[in-house]
Amino acid sequence: MHGSSLLNDLKYPPKGGYSFPMTRKLWQFPWGYPESTLFVASLALVGFLLQLTVGHFDVGFLHAPANLIAFAILIGLILLGVRFQNTLLVRWVSGIPMAVTLTAAVVLVGLCMELTPQLSRLPSQAPANLELGSRLGFRMVTSSWPFVLLYGMTLIALGIATFKRLFRFSRQDITFLCNHLGLWMLLVSAGFGAADMMRVVMHVQSGETEWRVFDKDGEALELPIAITLKKFTMEEYPPNLTIMDGQAARDPQPSQPKGKSQPKSKQGFFQIDPKRPKGQIGDWAITLDDYLHTAVRIDGEYRVSPMPESTPAAKVTARNLLTGETKTAWVSSGGNVPEFFSAIPLDDRYVLVMTQPEPKRYASDVTIIPKDGSPIDAILEVNKPVSVGNWMIYQYGYETALGKMSPWSEMELVYDPWLLPAKISMGLMAIGALLMVWNGTGKRKSASNELERIPFHRNPRHRVLARRRPACLPS
Amino acid sequence: MCWLAAGLLACRRDQSPRSAYVVDALAILGIALFTVFIAALWDALSRPPLRTMGETRLWYAMFTVLAGYVTYRRWHYPWLLFLSAIVATAFTVINLLKPEIHSIALMPALQSFLFIPHVIIYIIAYTLFGVATLAAGVLLVRRRKGGDHAAHQELLAFIDNLVHIGFGFLALGLLLGAVWAKEAWGHYWSWDPKETLAFMTGAAYLVYIHLRHQGRKDNLVIWTLPVAFLLLLLSWFGTALFPGSSLHLYS
Repeated sequence: MHGSSLLNDLKYPPKGGYSFPMTRKLWQFPWGYPESTLFVASLALVGFLLQLTVGHFDVGFLHAPANLIAFAILIGLILLGVRFQNTLLVRWVSGIPMAVTLTAAVVLVGLCMELTPQLSRLPSQAPANLELGSRLGFRMVTSSWPFVLLYGMTLIALGIATFKRLFRFSRQDITFLCNHLGLWMLLVSAGFGAADMMRVVMHVQSGETEWRVFDKDGEALELPIAITLKKFTMEEYPPNLTIMDGQAARDPQPSQPKGKSQPKSKQGFFQIDPKRPKGQIGDWAITLDDYLHTAVRIDGEYRVSPMPESTPAAKVTARNLLTGETKTAWVSSGGNVPEFFSAIPLDDRYVLVMTQPEPKRYASDVTIIPKDGSPIDAILEVNKPVSVGNWMIYQYGYETALGKMSPWSEMELVYDPWLLPAKISMGLMAIGALLMVWNGTGKRKSASNELERIPFHRNPRHRVLARRRPACLPS
Repeated sequence: MCWLAAGLLACRRDQSPRSAYVVDALAILGIALFTVFIAALWDALSRPPLRTMGETRLWYAMFTVLAGYVTYRRWHYPWLLFLSAIVATAFTVINLLKPEIHSIALMPALQSFLFIPHVIIYIIAYTLFGVATLAAGVLLVRRRKGGDHAAHQELLAFIDNLVHIGFGFLALGLLLGAVWAKEAWGHYWSWDPKETLAFMTGAAYLVYIHLRHQGRKDNLVIWTLPVAFLLLLLSWFGTALFPGSSLHLYS
């Protein structure tokens, strides 16, 4: 019944329980916090040694089918744990001290990630040339060996704790199961999915069809999806007016005023909005007399035009509140045409300028052609991706210097075959979280007081645990 | 709208059982009025009023009161209703005083229906954890002074409840953020500095919850709450203090 000698030693506690001494020595069963801490610390130490000897953990190594094999091994270990769940060793692995220790380790790992800026890709230098922090994996925690080992240990411990309750399903455990199963599934999908996941950015010229992406060395990768960019469109917010130092505003590229908004003490912007034509910047009262969102400059005047080069322009009256001096003129950021730029000089030093309009919405009108499947017409927009099979396609970028005139658009294509389990697990966790909000600790005020006074192992709230605990355990 | 604020503030003062009906009536009336206002604004703008910060504040105010009221009805924490009413009133007053905020640009990535619940749910969690931390401080001081054991137990049970509810909200906020991130940035988790800090905060509260489930109630356990709250504050305000760029910094 019990295969290994270790498990034999740790088999079911005899009737009447083990007789544990009141003061337990380290590594004497039942194990608790000291053993968990030492174990997790040694796991991290082994991780650091691996990191120093073999370098970063290569996520690509877990590429399918390797991740499926690793997943099968994980399930095997967990089922083994569930089978021998009453042994003291498995109880320790899946018990609260281990959970608390691993969770505390997670906080420390987070701290490492927070204190060292994380690199998004592995450094290309030879490991020997890197500083110690990099060699120990601090610059890229998520592919360092200590992280991977802790992740694996969490999957095992959390998995056993979850599945042993799942197999002994009870309605009282529903919150526990939603939270723990959800988290376990999410960690599995995110962890094993990381190897299969692919994120690429495709650059498509307007009117053209593209199915390749290029890495930074110019190597092409062909994707099973082609995209035709029919049109790139952008809507802009009306721009702001602000006061700048004239010297800075007259820099070689007048369409992009680079100066700082003035005066420094009370930097001010006037948001152009025809419904609210009056405002103030510094000592100047601003009145918006006219606003054209798409204008071109003809003989010093601005006129509405549907031309793609058109720019926002505003006719503004500025009155100095201290001197009463009044100026009325056109002001324009110029868009992409330097000749359309216009500012209003206020005095020897300062000028009133218009900022570049900010994008309100930008979208690519595309046709998506999967290798096997019929073409899909779609409008890709920020926050509105389109899914095609295991791929999701996002609006990514455009030529920011040209704004709405950008001749190309970039789409990000993300492949994640583990997305469905991740979504299911998030749903489970959401149910668990709602149940927590609704039930709190699940104890009534009056009842909890009494329960608190009952020693732990006789407490009915912990009866499941208590039943499996040696009777003579000190409380 | 001022009506709502006054009504809710007044409802806090009388706590006799008879006035409970008045509280309910005022709270529901306030929420109903606010909903009608938002619906009217929606109609007037012919788009959902979700685009600007000012409009966001309106929803924020409504949901804060709604959440405060539901929590109050469920758990009988009148201070939570009171607090949510104050927060909502503050936001409403800001909107009344500075109507021009209604037209400030909102970058495209923030234009999502998930923006508001994501933020509001976090604020609720922060409120609950904040109160739990204060209560933990009170408990630590009282324990040092000695005194009534039963009262300590009651306070501890109250803290536990707050932490559980707060964690539920924190988890919901994280999950909504994950769903939104998948829509906007291509992946549900990207170890953004703010995400990492929120993750650490959640983990720290999980440590507390598990220690308490084990039945431990020593001072060391209570001390995990201020530590967790420190992480929470860092994730809320302190992301800019750390190296590494975050997608959560906008201004």
